[in-house]
Amino acid sequence: MIVLSSVSKWYPNGARPALIDVSAEIGAGEFVFLVGPSGSGKSTLLRLLLREDRATSGQVIVAGRDVARIPDRRVPQLRRTVGCVFQDFRLLPNRTVAANVAFALDVIGRPRHVVRSVVPEVLDLVGLGEKADRYPDELSGGEQQRVAIARAFVGRPRVLLADEPTGNLDPATSIEIMNLLDAVHRAGTTVVMATHNASLVDAMRRRVLELGDGALLRDEADGRYDQTMPQPLPPSAPPPPSASLLPPSVPAQPTGTAPDDGGRSPWAAPTRNGPVG
Amino acid sequence: MRPGPLASLLWTGLRRNLAMTGAVIVTVTICLAMLGAGLLLRAQVHTIDGFLLDQIEVVVDLSDAITPAERSALEAEMHRDPLVVAVHYETKQQVYERFRRDFRGSPDVVAGVGPEDLPAALRLTLADPRASRDIVVTYTGLDGVEAVRDQRALLDPLYRFLDAFTVGAFTLAAVQALASFALIYTMIRISAHGRRRETAIMKLVGASNGTIRAPFVLESAVAGLTGGLLAAGLLVAAKVFLVDGQFARQTMFPLFGWSAVWASAVVVLAAGVLAAAVMASIALRRHLRV
Repeated sequence: MIVLSSVSKWYPNGARPALIDVSAEIGAGEFVFLVGPSGSGKSTLLRLLLREDRATSGQVIVAGRDVARIPDRRVPQLRRTVGCVFQDFRLLPNRTVAANVAFALDVIGRPRHVVRSVVPEVLDLVGLGEKADRYPDELSGGEQQRVAIARAFVGRPRVLLADEPTGNLDPATSIEIMNLLDAVHRAGTTVVMATHNASLVDAMRRRVLELGDGALLRDEADGRYDQTMPQPLPPSAPPPPSASLLPPSVPAQPTGTAPDDGGRSPWAAPTRNGPVG
Repeated sequence: MRPGPLASLLWTGLRRNLAMTGAVIVTVTICLAMLGAGLLLRAQVHTIDGFLLDQIEVVVDLSDAITPAERSALEAEMHRDPLVVAVHYETKQQVYERFRRDFRGSPDVVAGVGPEDLPAALRLTLADPRASRDIVVTYTGLDGVEAVRDQRALLDPLYRFLDAFTVGAFTLAAVQALASFALIYTMIRISAHGRRRETAIMKLVGASNGTIRAPFVLESAVAGLTGGLLAAGLLVAAKVFLVDGQFARQTMFPLFGWSAVWASAVVVLAAGVLAAAVMASIALRRHLRV
């Protein structure tokens, strides 16, 4: 789904490259944590995947397309296959929850009947069906992030990029959001999540790509946040959220939003109108 | 994007930017009203031209000493002249008849003049009455020509007056167009800043560049359309109250009709919408990177 071949990125005024010779391959349906200190190149990498920037050298392939070669007018097509979630939610304050999610479909020209049927479904999936008519400032941070995930997911992208989605949230809420992203992943979406949240990474035990000073330091399946520091967590990291909520033996049981009904999660089920996106 | 959501974006933008949009509308209205006034003044010049076309001639008085050969040479030359449509020779007797007709209200004047006192003449009908000056220059002083009289010269002050106002109106329209552009440029900058969150999200979820730009261009076009409608209203009001209400009683010349007003209104509306949209597109290149 995502192939990086010797990708380097120099910013015009940068003293050193933001990315140096990064190569990695992320298969369809994988869940990957992108870790590393601030300034290590995580956000740059996500920007390259969205074609908000181009690599200085090397090749970035997303969903089979070399993103640097996509002509400008086709870039929107790329971005429809790649959903995005951010630390700061980026909701429109003057629109309701439902309208925020509908906005993503409206601006890509989806017909009204599709928008009307898909938006409530997706809001139910993220557990906000009851709050469709609220405004973002009436919601908690975790709920706002759920809206953002609903907006990113409503077009059924093949890849979901999450740039520190739990960065503004308390530990318990972070776990809820993590579970939601896991449910998105189990619906078949490739998820790349950049994070500083060591406890989540350690609890989930998924593939970890670690960046440091722009270089890929580690590519580990079932990895932990910090290779050299097995549990317990480093003192700088937040205390582990009540481990019973997310036992490593049962990773990512969604909390009420996507019950495991024998492998057929509502996330995976296409809508009545067929898949959107 | 569907019309519904697009209209909602447009409406939000207009409401948020009300003062700025108002300023744009006022400037655009003045600009377009000036443009329309210039067009109507030109229509007025054409109306007068059309009225006088048949009546304005250049009269070439022939000297009594002209030989028939000289006269036919002169006529041949006039026939070759592209500015001249027709040449009509009038004998002394015919000139006298016309003189008597023109001055039938003043028998005293007519009584003192006989056919022999008046020169035979060539009357020239011109392709363009406005070219009469060239004709005068061309034929004055030729053999057998006594004088060249340009009837249109009598109307020169009127034409100069109309031309000056036309140029003035177009100049003002151009100045106002520059001011409109500056305002639209600023309006787009403010609007793009106010909507940066929306446009960022639109980009992120894969809205096309056209969709992202459409609300801005439409916002400007709506301001242009409103300005155009107001300007057209001003033109209609000028026709009703100024032209028909005042000037029609003060002048013997025919005045432009409603068709000229409608034609100008259409030009003004189209220019308002198109120019505003184009100006907005130019400003967007600078202020909205997609």
